[in-house]
Amino acid sequence: MTPVTNTWSRIAVLSVPPRPALVGIIANPASGRDIRRLTSRASVFPNAEKASMMVRAIAGLEAAGVRDVMIMPDSGGICGPLFRALSVTTGSPVTVKPRFIDMPVTGSADDTLRATELMCQAGAGAIIVLGGDGTHRAVAARCGQVPLLALSTGTNNAFPEMREATVAGLAAGLLATGAVPAEVAVRRNKLLRVRCDDRTDIALVDLCVTRHNYVGSRAVWDSALLEELFVAFAGADAIGLSAIAGQLEPVTRSAPHGLHVRCADTTHTPQQVIVPIAPGLISAVGIRDYARLLPGQPVELAPQSGTIALDGEREIEFDPSNRISVELDLHGPLTIDVAAVLENAARRRVLRHYAGCPA
Amino acid sequence: MSSSLTREGLLQAYRTMRTIREFEERLHVDFATGEIPGFVHLYAGEEASATGICMHLNRDDYIASTHRGHGHCIAKGVDPVGMMAEIWGKRTGTCKGKGGSMHIADLDVGMLGANGIVGGGGPLICGTALASKLRGSNNVGVCFFGDGASNQGTIFEAMNLAAVWKLPVIFVGENNGYAEATASKFSVACENIADRASAFGMPGVITDGFDFFAVHEAAGEAVKRAREGGGPTLLEVKLSRYYGHFEGDQQTYRAPGEVQKLRETKDCLMQFARRVTSRGELSMAELEAIDVEVKTLIDASVVKAKADPLPLPEDLMADVYVSY
Amino acid sequence: MARKITYQQAINEALDQEMARDPSVIVMGEDVAGGAGAPGEEDSWGGVLGVTKGLYAKHPGRVLDTPISESGYIGAAVGAACNGMRPVAELMFIDFMGVCFDQIFNQAAKFRYMFGGKAKTPVVIRAMYGAGFRAAAQHSQCLYNIFTHIPGLKVVLPSNPYDAKGLLIQSIRDNDPVIFLEHKALYTMEGDVPEESYIVPFGEAAVVQEGDDVTIVAFGRMVNYAKDAGASLRKKGVQCEIIDPRTTSPMDFDTILESVERTGRLVIVDESHPRCSMASDVSGFIAQEAFRALKAPIQMVTAPHVPVPFAASLEDLYIPSPARIEEAVMRVKEYR
Repeated sequence: MTPVTNTWSRIAVLSVPPRPALVGIIANPASGRDIRRLTSRASVFPNAEKASMMVRAIAGLEAAGVRDVMIMPDSGGICGPLFRALSVTTGSPVTVKPRFIDMPVTGSADDTLRATELMCQAGAGAIIVLGGDGTHRAVAARCGQVPLLALSTGTNNAFPEMREATVAGLAAGLLATGAVPAEVAVRRNKLLRVRCDDRTDIALVDLCVTRHNYVGSRAVWDSALLEELFVAFAGADAIGLSAIAGQLEPVTRSAPHGLHVRCADTTHTPQQVIVPIAPGLISAVGIRDYARLLPGQPVELAPQSGTIALDGEREIEFDPSNRISVELDLHGPLTIDVAAVLENAARRRVLRHYAGCPA
Repeated sequence: MSSSLTREGLLQAYRTMRTIREFEERLHVDFATGEIPGFVHLYAGEEASATGICMHLNRDDYIASTHRGHGHCIAKGVDPVGMMAEIWGKRTGTCKGKGGSMHIADLDVGMLGANGIVGGGGPLICGTALASKLRGSNNVGVCFFGDGASNQGTIFEAMNLAAVWKLPVIFVGENNGYAEATASKFSVACENIADRASAFGMPGVITDGFDFFAVHEAAGEAVKRAREGGGPTLLEVKLSRYYGHFEGDQQTYRAPGEVQKLRETKDCLMQFARRVTSRGELSMAELEAIDVEVKTLIDASVVKAKADPLPLPEDLMADVYVSY
Repeated sequence: MARKITYQQAINEALDQEMARDPSVIVMGEDVAGGAGAPGEEDSWGGVLGVTKGLYAKHPGRVLDTPISESGYIGAAVGAACNGMRPVAELMFIDFMGVCFDQIFNQAAKFRYMFGGKAKTPVVIRAMYGAGFRAAAQHSQCLYNIFTHIPGLKVVLPSNPYDAKGLLIQSIRDNDPVIFLEHKALYTMEGDVPEESYIVPFGEAAVVQEGDDVTIVAFGRMVNYAKDAGASLRKKGVQCEIIDPRTTSPMDFDTILESVERTGRLVIVDESHPRCSMASDVSGFIAQEAFRALKAPIQMVTAPHVPVPFAASLEDLYIPSPARIEEAVMRVKEYR
């Protein structure tokens, strides 16, 4: 590989990547606008900043030799500023002209599902996702074996990381082009699968059975209404519902089990755990008991009626007539380990060169 | 939160939404006959918004409304019989036949007017809220506005003023996707109206306007915050109108089948009925009984409106001033 | 007991007395206290020209500085009036009506009629008007005729300290929206003003000088110019009857009509532009109602149909002067 400097934009790029690569980018324009802005102190992530993150990610991709980038369209909130940033005649940080996918924009999660499918069909080597747990859950439902680079846009997320998009783009690019081999850079995640009669759905971090009767405004913030909690992983330092499990028995992303917590009214149980269930909102949660959740062993629920929240958002309304089971699946989506990619690149001197001495 | 809705609350919600729908569907039919004067802008399709929000309000909380104001009026407690007479231009109308569809108001129930000026209500509701705050009451004000008004300076000024004075105001941006015939995708420079809240240091929340429970829950939190002195909130309700900007609008700017699909898949009354009956909270028979009662009420309101007297010539000069 | 105070002090006293009398009276506007959120004094200005100075300390929580956001706070004053308050909102310069007129003429003015008589909107909007301060085209206009045109508004133009106090008290107690206009050149004018509270009713013109030769109808500051001209004319043996309508909506046409029927000669002095003005309004009225009484064509002494200029030499030309009033009176007096 010969690093060269693009004199027009002064961007250092790997001129001959091991193979041509396509990378998709999905950013959810509605993420960070739910009721947690009102019920707790959840952050507001401006769409203009999501557009800037995309520009920076594309700069990283370009430096890694990616020449083909596909973008999920929206009605202009992110793609508008992105398009303008890339259309300037001088001073553009990138020379790659990304493709905005030609698809109808519905303004709902359907856009994310559809864009993911189209990116996979087009042969994307990686998909960079900007959003919260909910956005990642939607992408994970359709991405198959295409690895995700999960970037958090906000403070309320357990699955994606808060990370500089330039570095993330570089890592996704090095992986997609084959400059860094997949086996050192890609991690397999767990997921939780819920079956409610004929319907199945997934959660990447936590699945919570609540006594909220209706999906309503989706978010879950009232700890008194929690019935049961399932987690695929739970950091002791997590934010959100998984923090409950994280303070009982932390579960790593790679551990071959999850945790199943049964909650209780704090007036009826001596066992309580104090956790940040949303930004700025720390609650005492009553605990009846908890146990490890093992793969391939579905847990049948015997609920009254209520809702099931997937990664913190109520999605499924159920009543006693529904048959519901929850199962841990070790074969969830692949994600890119940014640190591992760049450590590998460093060890193999992928990004090093000496002036006048082509590698 | 939704779980806190009692049976009575659910029945009331359904009755309000059904009354608005029946009122608007009936106007749609009657307007086509040419007997109703002026302009009429129908709220059908958006019922969950007005209902989910106004259920949290008391009589002495104020709302300011829009061109598309019938739903807000009914949800805030304005008498539909008087409203129908008003829209027919009769002396028995809520405003004695001098306001009409675009200006129905009833200050006795805290309804500060369906405003003929896009964005006109924002500053006004800051005023009612300021009065409440200065008096030390915990009353709130709700400013309904559309995606069109979301671009008006008055709305920005009102949001800033409400934030500066920490007023108990809930700004409800009803985004039905079209300002007259222009798509909000074109006319609103950001993705969501709610995005603008952060510029005024207030929470901005998006809620699904087809889902009564979503609106009701979000509005409950916003109203609670306002009553407790927490200041203003911007609530964006994403919804759709079933009819044109005004009656007679052929809606050629909309996609073929757009409205039909929404009616079949997302309609707020349909969703509400399906969900409350599937959980056994209300029975289909109870809902059908409300349907019949509402239809009877609206039928009667039209019969009465048609028969009611026109304003008298001397009414022309009355009520310009309290004294002059 | 009367004592001499200025026009500005009279306005301040009226606000103070009404605020003390009625807790629903609030004062709001840009810098009406002055200094909100700033590190210095909290009541640093009391309005740009100090008219509301001191009210902030006397009436805690009821003198509200606003952002420079005229639609926002004028509309808020209107909304508060619908909800039981009696707000006195200061628009600073009347020229700023351009950024908030909707809240005044489409909202406040129309509520009562549109809502079938149910609404009551007791809001007062105070503003200063008029030329003479070298403030040029956007800070010097009169514009009272525009408000007068709108049914539902009342418009008040005090020409002296006594009227300023009495008319402002009436404005605050009035249950309709009132536009209260203060000529900035009059703020320093002194006059006898009773200490106690009193009202000057709307729609009652003042005959400030009696005479049988020529009727002069003058508005606002022009009343004082008319008095100067009248004094000079008296020395020349011309007896003018000078009428100050005090409010242009409602307007006391009866007093004007009665006077013109007696004198047969009418001069109208209006600092505003001539077209669609108070001058043309009164002129039209008299032409219709007192045609047979007229012995000479009606004379209008107004500013020209141009924006207010900046340069002192031009602004002095722009503003009607006592000399121009005298000339006009002599023209109608000598008309044959």
